Amino acid sequence: MVTIIDRTLTTLDTDRIDTQDLNHFCTLLFTCGVTKIELPYALASRLKPLFITEDAGKRIDTDTCFLKQNDDHRQMPIWKLESNEFVEKAILPSQIKNLRNKKIRIVGWEDLITRDYFTIFQELLSNSADTLDLCPSNKMHCATAIALEWILAGGTSVSCAFANYHDFPRLEEVLMGLKLRDPSSFKGDLSVLRQLKVLYEKITSLPISKTKAIIGEDIFKVESGIHVDGVIKNPATYEPFNPKTVGSQREIVLGKHSGQQSVLYKLREQNLSETAAKSILKQIKEGCTQLGRNVSDLELQSLVREVKNDYGTKIYC
Amino acid sequence: MEQKYIVDTTLRDGEQSPGVAFTLKEKVTIAKALDAMGIQRIEAGTPAMGKEECLAFEKIKAVCQNAKIIGWNRMNLSDIQSSINCGADIIHVCVPSSDLLIREKLRKSRTEVLEKLEECADSIHSAHKELTIGLEDASRADWDFITLLIDTAIRLGATTLRFSDTVGIMTPSICKNYISNISSNIDIEVHMHNDLGMAVANSIQGLRSGAKYVDSTLFGIGERAGNCNLEHLLIATIGQMDFGICLDELQWRQERLRPIIFKTHPNNIYRLSI
Repeated sequence: MVTIIDRTLTTLDTDRIDTQDLNHFCTLLFTCGVTKIELPYALASRLKPLFITEDAGKRIDTDTCFLKQNDDHRQMPIWKLESNEFVEKAILPSQIKNLRNKKIRIVGWEDLITRDYFTIFQELLSNSADTLDLCPSNKMHCATAIALEWILAGGTSVSCAFANYHDFPRLEEVLMGLKLRDPSSFKGDLSVLRQLKVLYEKITSLPISKTKAIIGEDIFKVESGIHVDGVIKNPATYEPFNPKTVGSQREIVLGKHSGQQSVLYKLREQNLSETAAKSILKQIKEGCTQLGRNVSDLELQSLVREVKNDYGTKIYC
Repeated sequence: MEQKYIVDTTLRDGEQSPGVAFTLKEKVTIAKALDAMGIQRIEAGTPAMGKEECLAFEKIKAVCQNAKIIGWNRMNLSDIQSSINCGADIIHVCVPSSDLLIREKLRKSRTEVLEKLEECADSIHSAHKELTIGLEDASRADWDFITLLIDTAIRLGATTLRFSDTVGIMTPSICKNYISNISSNIDIEVHMHNDLGMAVANSIQGLRSGAKYVDSTLFGIGERAGNCNLEHLLIATIGQMDFGICLDELQWRQERLRPIIFKTHPNNIYRLSI
C-alpha cells in the first residue's frame, strides 16, 4: 500500500484561504487518491472542528501536521490529525547506510535520474527505517519521474504537491502515472482534478499553464490534420488517457495545421454549411498564421457567413 | 563528458501545439537562432503542407550554416517528393508502429506498412538524400514488430532510428528497457512527450541507455503537454552530457524568440481577409 502525501498547503500563503475553500480543497485531495495532507498547524486549527479529532496532541518539533481520513468513512468526524514525526534529511546517496531514525523523509536528490538510481533505491529499501518517504527536489525538472520510479522500485511513501508552483513532484502527474501503471489497484478518482485546479487558482491567484501536464486547459485540444484524422477515427490513437478521466474533454480546434477533415468536422459539429469548406480552410490557415492562435467557434460562424455572402455576391453580380 | 546531439523540432512538433503558428519570416528567424547556438539538426517542418512551407525550407537552408535540415514526412511518396524538392538535407519518414495506429488510423496491415516503407526508402535513395526513420507510438507497439522495423530500417540504409513515445506514457525505467535493447547498428534518437511530466527524465534515460540524438523544443512546446524542453534538458544534464550548446546562450536567445513563439494577445482579434 503506497502512501501519497500532499504538501500543497505548506507552500501557500495560508492567510488567504477561508475555511470553506480549505475543507473543499482537502476533500478533493482525498478523493483523487491522496493518503495524507500535510498542512501547517496554524491552518489545521481553521478546519471545521466537526471534521477533525485532535488525535495527535503531542506536537513535536515541526511546524506541520498530517490530516488523514478516518478508517471508517461513515463515522463522524471524517478526518483526524496526526503529528508529523518525519526527520527530513538531505543526505547524499552514499550516506544511506548511516540512517538511524525510524521515520525519515529524504529531500533533495534532484539529479538522481542521471545516476544509477535503481541501485540507490535498493540500498535505501534495505535500510532499517520504519517509514522512508521520498520528496525529491524538482530543480532538475525530474522530480515526478524520481518519485514514480521510487514507488515502482518498491518505495511505500512519497511526498508531492499539486500543480507547479513549488519544488516537489507534481501530485497530479504522480497519481496519473500510478493509475496508468496499475489501473486495478489505483483507488482515487482523478475526475476531480479539474475542480481542484479551479479551486487552486482561486485560492492562490496563480494561473496554471494551459499546457501543464494532466491539468492544462489546452492539452486535449487537437489541431494538426494528422492527429485530427486519427482522433476522429479513434481518440485513443493520440491520447494517453481519456480526457474524462481528469474531468476534461477533447476539442478539435482550427488553425494553421488543420486539414480538410478538421474543417468538415467543425462545420458539421456546428450545423454549418459545408459547401465552401476548401475556401474556409484557406482563410483559416492564413489568418491563424498571422495571429499565432486558433479560430474560435464564433469566428468560424462569422467566416462561414462571410464566405456565403461573397459567393452570393458573385452569383448575383 | 558524453557527447550527445540535439534534434530541434520547435518548427515541426512544436508548431503543432494548438494555437502556435509561425509565418515564413518567423520560421527563418527561429531556425537562424537555433543554428547559431549550435543545434546539430533542425526539423524545420512538413513540406507536404504546401508552397509556403517549402519556401520556408529553402530560406532556412540558405541561412543555416551548420545545422542539417530535416523534412518530416508521412509514409507517402508525394509528401517525400515535396521534402526532396525543397532541398531538405535529411528526409525523415514517420512510420506508425503500434497496432492501434496501423489498424485504426492507417487502416492497413503490418505487411502493408513494411511494403510502403520500402517504396519510400527507394525514392529517397534515388534522390541521394539521407534517410532517417521514426517509429511513431513505439512505446505502445508490439516489441516483435519494433524489432522487425529496426532490422528493416538498417537494411534500407536509414542512418538514424527515432523512437517516439508519441503519447508520453513512458517512465525512465521502461525507456531504459526499450532503448538498451535496440541494435547498435543504427544511431538512435529519442522523441519524448510530456503528458505525464516526464519528457526530460525519459530523454535523459534514453540518452544514458544508448541514444545519440534527442528531440527537444524551445519552451518545451509541442502536441498536448509538449515535448522535451531543451532548456530543462541542459539544466538537468550539466556536467553529465555535452550537447555542444551553451545554456546561457540558449536562455537569452530563447527569451528573444518568446514574442514570436507566444503571439497570443487579448487584442489579437481575428479579421476576415476575404
